[in-house]
Parts: sequence; C-alpha cells; structure tokens
Amino acid sequence: MKAIAAAGTGKNETRSFRMQAFLEGWSLFYENIVGRIGLYLLILFGLMALASYIPPLIDPMYHPMTGVDPDISYASAPSWRHWLGTDNIGRDIFTQLLTGARVAFLVGISAAFISIVIGTLLGMIAGYGGRVLDSVLMRFADMIMVMPSLLVILLLSVLFGQLSIWIIVMLIALFRWPAVARVIRSQTLSLKQRPFIDMARVAGASHVRILFRHILPNVLPMALLYMTFRVTSAIIVEAALAFLGFGDPNTVSWGMMLQWVWKTGHMFQAPWWLLPPGICISLITLAFYMMGRAMEEVLDPRLRKTKGPDYAAS
Amino acid sequence: MNSRFYLEFLKVAAVPLFMAAVLFFASCAEHADDGILRLGLMEEPRTTNIWLASDANSRKLISLVYQPLYTYDPDSLELTPWLAASMPEYDPDTQSYTVRLRDAKWSDGTRLTADDVVFTVELIQRFRVPRYYSQWRFVERTEAVDERTVRFFLEEPKAIFLTRTLVNYVVPKSQWEPIAEAAGQRQKPLAALLNTEIEAPLGSGPFVLAEWRKGAYIHLKKNDHFFGSGVEVSGRRLGPHADEVLFKVYGTADVAVLGLKKDEIDFLWMSIQPGYIDGLEANPHTTVYLSDRSALYYMGFNVRREPFSDPAFRRAVNVLIDKDFIIDRVLQGYAAHMDSIVPTENVFWHADGLPEYARGLSREDRIRKAWRVLSEEGYTWQRPPVDENGEVAAPSRIILPDGTPMADFSILTPPADYDPARATCGVIIQEWLKDLGIPASSRPMAFGALLQRVKDRHEFDAFILGYGQLSLDPDYLRSFFHSENDRPGGWNMSGYNNEAFDRLADESVMAMDTQRRRDLILEMQRIVMEDVPYIPLYNPSAVEAVGKKRFEGWEEMIDGIGNIWSLTRVAPLEE
Repeated sequence: MKAIAAAGTGKNETRSFRMQAFLEGWSLFYENIVGRIGLYLLILFGLMALASYIPPLIDPMYHPMTGVDPDISYASAPSWRHWLGTDNIGRDIFTQLLTGARVAFLVGISAAFISIVIGTLLGMIAGYGGRVLDSVLMRFADMIMVMPSLLVILLLSVLFGQLSIWIIVMLIALFRWPAVARVIRSQTLSLKQRPFIDMARVAGASHVRILFRHILPNVLPMALLYMTFRVTSAIIVEAALAFLGFGDPNTVSWGMMLQWVWKTGHMFQAPWWLLPPGICISLITLAFYMMGRAMEEVLDPRLRKTKGPDYAAS
Repeated sequence: MNSRFYLEFLKVAAVPLFMAAVLFFASCAEHADDGILRLGLMEEPRTTNIWLASDANSRKLISLVYQPLYTYDPDSLELTPWLAASMPEYDPDTQSYTVRLRDAKWSDGTRLTADDVVFTVELIQRFRVPRYYSQWRFVERTEAVDERTVRFFLEEPKAIFLTRTLVNYVVPKSQWEPIAEAAGQRQKPLAALLNTEIEAPLGSGPFVLAEWRKGAYIHLKKNDHFFGSGVEVSGRRLGPHADEVLFKVYGTADVAVLGLKKDEIDFLWMSIQPGYIDGLEANPHTTVYLSDRSALYYMGFNVRREPFSDPAFRRAVNVLIDKDFIIDRVLQGYAAHMDSIVPTENVFWHADGLPEYARGLSREDRIRKAWRVLSEEGYTWQRPPVDENGEVAAPSRIILPDGTPMADFSILTPPADYDPARATCGVIIQEWLKDLGIPASSRPMAFGALLQRVKDRHEFDAFILGYGQLSLDPDYLRSFFHSENDRPGGWNMSGYNNEAFDRLADESVMAMDTQRRRDLILEMQRIVMEDVPYIPLYNPSAVEAVGKKRFEGWEEMIDGIGNIWSLTRVAPLEE
C-alpha cells in the first residue's frame, strides 16, 4: 500500500500522509484512558439513540410520547414490562430515555456543528483579513460572548411563545460561536506568517484559495476539538431550557422528562423517573468533555504526559 | 503550606456552615408560638386594593378582610345571609329588594351601616370598576332606608341579582370616600382608584391585616369586632379561633409540600398536583382533602375561521377526544367527566341527556366514527384514515370540502410549568387529530400572551383554557356564547354566533321564575353541545392538604376547603 502510494500521484501521497497522521493521533488518543472512557460512553449513547427506533415497533404502547400502557395509569416502579417504570400517565420511561439520547445527539451535534461553521469562518476571515475587518468581527464576537445565552434564549421563548427544537438549536449555535472564532483567529494569525502561505501567495493563489485550501485544513483539528466542548454546552442549555418549561413540548428530551417529573409532583416519589435522565445528561456531557480533553492532548503536544526520564524535571 | 490550606478551607466552609446555622435556628423559632394559623401560598398576593385584586392570591387575602352581604351554604350551596340579617325581600311593584343588615362592625370598631353598602354600590357604578360593574349596572338606585336597611331598585327583573350581585364585598365609606374623591379629581379616575395603595385595609372580616413584609410574609390579627364571633350562621358556630394568621409564600410546589410535611404551615392554600397525594397521605402529620370543583377546562375553537366554523368538523374533533383517557391518565382520576359547559356537580342547572359523542368507544372506533362524520360533509383524503376493508390506516392530510388541503394550525395551551395537565392534553389531542389527517400542533404559550391572543386579538385557531371557579349560577353560558360578547376583550372568545341561542340567553336573564329559567338554561346547553364551539374536557378535583398537628375543623365545600367557613371555624387542637 505504502509503496503504491509513494509511486503514485501527489494526491495519494498526501492522503497516505494524512492517514498516517490520523493513525498516530488515534493511537495517542486511544492510549489516553480519559479519552477511551469518553469514547465508550459515547458509543453506548449512540447505541441507545439507534435503539430508540425499536420499542415502538414491538408494541404501540412503547411510543415515547403517545404510547401508554393500557393497564397502568400511574407512575409505576420498574418491572419486566417497563424496565425503568412508567411516568404518571403510563408511558414507558426506558423508551423515553432512549429517545432522549437521540434528541441529545441531534441537539448537541447540530448546534455544535453550526456554531463551529460560523466560528471557523468568521475566525479565519478575521485572522486573515486583519486590520478593520478583524476589529469589527472580534468586537462583534465580544458582544455576543458577554451575553448570557441561557437568559437571552429564555427571554426569547417567553416573548415568542414556545420555540421548536430547531429554533432552539439555531439559537444555541448563534450564541456559542465567538469562543471558537477567537481560537481560530489566533491560529490563523500565526499560520498567516508561515512560509507556505507566502509561497502560495507568490504562486498566485487567490485569498479564497489560501483560506480554504491552506489555512482551513490546518485549523480544522482545532475546530473539531472545540466542537466536542460546544456539544456539551448545547446539551446542557437544551436540558436547562426544557427543565424550566421552555423546551419543545413535542420532543421527548431528557430535560423534558425532568420537567415532567418535577411539574407533576413526582420529584421525590418516583426516583426511577427522576434519576435516569439526570444521570444520562451528566454522563453524555462528561463523555464529550472527556473526548475533548483527550483530543486536546493529541493536538497540543505540551499537554502530553511524557514517560521519559529526560523530561521528569520540567 | 498545609496550615494555609486549612485556613483557606475554613474560610470557604464557613459560609455554608453559617447559612445552615441560620436556617436551623430560623426553623426552630417557627414552632414556638401557638394560636397562629399558618397558610402557604404559591405566589405573593399582588395587592391589598380590593378593586385591583384579580389574581387568586390577592383574592384569598381579601376574602379574610372584606365580607359580602350573602354567601353560599357549604352543604346546600344555597344563598345564606352573611353581613345581611335575613334573606332579601322582593317587591315586584317597584322591582326592589330590601336587605336588613346584621349588627356588624368594621375592624376599627365603627358600625357597618346601610350607608357603607350604598357607598360601595355607587363607587362601583361611578368608576365602572371592572369585574364588579357588570353585576351592578342594572341596579338603578340604592337607598339607605335606615341605618341597617338597604333597598336596591332594579331597572328590570334580573335573575342574577341574588346569586351574583349580592355576594359581592362591602367596603367602608370612612376609608374609601376620601380616596374616591381624590381619584375623581384626576384625569383617569378609574386608574387612580385602582392604583391607590391601601396599607391598612379596613374590613369587617374575621382577620385584619397587621403587617405585610413584601417577599417574606403577611401577618393578620384576629378582628375583635368580627360580627360572627360566637354567632351561629347556617347551623355553624363561627370563630375565628386562631389569634393570628400568617401567610408564607413558597415559590414552587415542591418546597410548599415539603414545608407542609415539615410542619411549617397548617394549610397549603392551593390545589396541588395528584403526584403529591401519596407522599402526603403517608406522612402522619398531613392529610389530603379532595373536593369537587365548579370548574370548566375545555378546548375552544375560533369559529370565525374555516374549517372550525363548520359544526361537523368540531363534532368530529369531539369524537376523537377521549375525555376518559385524559381524566384517568393526565389527571390521575382526580377530575370529573364533563358533557356540558355546566359541570355535572352543579346538579340543579346541569342538563341531562346531552350528546355523549363517542364516550366509551375504542380509539379505532372513534377514528371510524369521526371519519364518517367528516366524509358525509364532503371532507376527503388522498389516503383516507379508514381503508376499503374498514381497517384504520395512517391517513394523508385532510382535504376540506372546497378542495384545498387543510393548513397547519396550532392548539394554544398554557405552558407546562403553569399547568402540566393542560399542556399534556394539548400534545395528546394533537396526536389524536393526526389520526384523521388533521394537521394540529400543540403550542404552549405564556398565560398572559395566550389570553391576549385568544380574548383580545382573536388570532388563534384552537386553544385549551379553563375557568377555575365558575359561579354556581350558570349565567356564564350567556357570557361565553352570546354574540354580543363577540368583541375584542369579550368573553365570547370563540366567536360563536347563533340567533336562537341569543334569544334564549336574553330571556334567561329576565326570567324571575326559577323553573322557567332552568328550562331555558337546559335548552341553551343543548344548543351549545350540539354545535360545540367549546369542547368541555374535564372538571378537576381540588386536591388540598393540611397539617393535622395543630388545627382541626376544616369545612369541605365545592372548590375546596379554602373557604370563609373553614377559616372562621378551624380551631387549635387541644393538647
């Protein structure tokens, strides 16, 4: 494989180089126990999200929103029929929990992705453009950054009535890009001074080409790293909104489940209903955070724990 | 290094320790005094100004301070003289009612006279005070015959005068006359009147306001001049037996219920969620009271718009809604079934034999029935909800008789943190309607905004709202459905317009013969339930809880134990 790549075109060469880099990074990541735990947890939640499609096929009573047990019309404790019990109107909590995983991924990843796209673009443009453009964009980012996002989204949902889950995702994304933009800008600033950018410019590359062909691939790892942290905050914001009663009422999310258990007065009566969504929110945010920490070590060699005695003194 | 760490640690730990100590000692102090009736509220009352008070919590406070001429007997729900000494005497020739007053006093010791009653009526009429004016506008003249006799002259016979008008509060002339004079001079007299702050309301009730520490508590003292002390009214000897009343405000139901369990309060004055019942019943110091309510929770349509203007469409929706499911599941069985706008519990005025729609049918039979109702009226589907073999299938979007597919619409509901039951109903009904290809989506909305859209701007398709306290007199039927109330801010929110109904409603107000009026009211219910501009959903029970360690003698009544009879009769337990 290697031999073919070496003998082939330049394109293949870079691909194998990237593959090499990826494998190296992967082994570094996998060595990291924190990253590994995070990864396993995420796989677990991913499986939960996928599995959420199964229960409604078994029996309509396992539909997370509308399916109710024909014989149970109160909050019942875990049983064979309902592994985590039922809520007060007889809906299966395990099914709701699985669906919640789907919603958490959907909200977390899409909000994080949108904010990363916005943040990376604006960061690169600011860093590369410099001067006035830089100042304007960064002051704008500062303005957004100091806004308490949860509070603003709460106010918006009070003003406009209930928000749908996609509007919530958009709002979270719109409030969470500035930190990404700042990091990407600083990366771009240092990249801009490197010789290969000068060479590209001398070779006649346009600004757009330089930005997307030469700078973007170099800031992308950093952007992806930040994405994992954004996912965490998006999930928490959505859960907080839902818990406070401003979530999308047509969505079964973990925050919604907490809101139901709270508002129907089962907070201290039904631990099987209260605990699972709470634990899941904590674990999934923890998982993304751990992944992020491990990825950070891969990207930033200074963070790596070195085993060699040479460095023990530092 | 280590000692500095401990120092830091101590500094950090000191704050929570100190707070814990404060809370601990504060909660100890609570148990010291006796004879204090401690009542829990969910929110702080907004005002002590009786004319401004429209929120439930202010009304609770005010009900202990101001008193009406007549009230309802807890058992028979019949009109009972309260500040009045006897039932009113009607003179058909002059169309006037004569009311004799008891020997009652204001809390400052001055006598409550006929002048106070006349002053109250004239103030309401002069300022056109909202909430009250509509009940007094047809009273032409009020006259103080002597110090303890009042006569009300009516423009025309009004059936609601006794049951709606005479149960209003009386305010003291001595306190309100200067305020009314000052307000009358202003550019906006009504606003000036409503915005007057009343620090020490002078009342005639069992308790008198002593101190209101905003955000902390409200303290009331026993009124030594209360007319009822030791007096027997309607077979019940009145107190009050508590020396003081303390209102504590809890932000959330969880904390309030916890406070009740921990003996911080003796009565949580609000209806709680059924989920708390088991925990409160299990606690040896608390007990739960379940009472019927005179309430109406319903789904309303905007009949000004297509296709909601079609009665057949509304009937089909009614068929799809499984009220028993809502009652059993969402309300955990703590609600009564409703098949009319007038609650079944209101035995005298409720009409029997109204259309049941689909009560008792299974989900699939409901879909079939609703499908038949709609098909007959020309509604079609590309993929109908019932296939050729009569099996229920997932339908495509419903197509209106004019050939256009029905547009998406929302069912507005209060938000889940305001009322989880109604918010859940919205989602469930939305799913039921989808079984027939009706593209509904439930949309919870802040209560104020919701009311504004539905009542003032008429910008809605459907909504779920409730009347927590319907008067026992069914005059509200006329308010909800008479076409003259179909105006911005009017109570005919769905825009229902039926000439036959209007005629009956107009006649029912004038009917002084109770039997005749009853016939009219029953007919009105029949018309409304045939046309269903409102679909009654349920009448929730009042779930209330008290601590049984310190006080006893709560009086059960429709709408719960938080009534004037309870609060004048509960007595400290003998040790």
